[in-house]
Amino acid sequence: MAAAAPALSLAPMATTVTAAAAQKAASPKAAAGGDVRKVVPVMAAAADEVVVQELHVLAVDDSVVDRAVIAKILRSSKYRVTTVESATRALELLGLGLITNVNMIITDYWMPGMTGYELLKRVKESSELKEIPVVIMSSENVPNRINRCLEEGAEDFLLKPVRPSDVSRLCSRIR
Amino acid sequence: MQRTKGYLDEQFCQIEDLQDETSPNFAEEVVSLFFKDSVRLVTNIEQAMEKYPEDFNRWDAHMQQLKGSCYSIGASKMNNECTLFRNNCGQENAEGCMRSFQKVKREHAILRQKLESYFQLLRQAGPAGTATRPAGK
Repeated sequence: MAAAAPALSLAPMATTVTAAAAQKAASPKAAAGGDVRKVVPVMAAAADEVVVQELHVLAVDDSVVDRAVIAKILRSSKYRVTTVESATRALELLGLGLITNVNMIITDYWMPGMTGYELLKRVKESSELKEIPVVIMSSENVPNRINRCLEEGAEDFLLKPVRPSDVSRLCSRIR
Repeated sequence: MQRTKGYLDEQFCQIEDLQDETSPNFAEEVVSLFFKDSVRLVTNIEQAMEKYPEDFNRWDAHMQQLKGSCYSIGASKMNNECTLFRNNCGQENAEGCMRSFQKVKREHAILRQKLESYFQLLRQAGPAGTATRPAGK
């Protein structure tokens, strides 16, 4: 029941690539990699192999405006989004199993109480949650902060205001 | 948007650009969230300044939240006044803070007025019942 499971289970589905998906994968990015983890969304023609891709993102931010904006950006890219106003609340809900099947966590850095950095550490320390990619957002461009987050295992660090292009670039890697 | 020039920056346009068929009134909804939140934050600052005289760290912490909100919707003029308030906190200038805070509140009121007019105008210009910016504006 680990929330991490879905992120890993996507990988085997990379083998069920149809012609349509292969065409999509023939972008410069796909050609350069050969990254086994990358999965192309597939709506297979084969009768018993329908794969519906819906990634679940947990967005954590104390600002109600920022939550609305990041949720909108993610939903416009067809992600399922759960928003939470604090890191402690996020951990609580994850721990209680009230939020499940999380494919990515995107969190603000500066929040009252627990910061996004502390949330990142807790996630990476948890055997159940550590496989979930964590992205940090911040309105301040502080190189030390960015490095610390990346060293702690953050998937990426986005400067606010976050744009749809930031998110699609990010999510195409996570997939 | 001409009349709101200087009050709102590019970030506001970005929010409008997120509007689509599923959320045709997204910008107005975000603005509404902003004002619900900012009214609360302004009140917090007001109360903090009364209850905790010269507690500049506390005043600053509250204003940081309000400033963040302004930044998020592109309310640049109000954002600037918030910054000036925080500068006064940094200099431990209580008088300066009082003055700055009045300016923050004034910009807040002006912004609300302008945005209300703006969305009203869009409603009149656009399809019935939606406040949607005309395409290609």
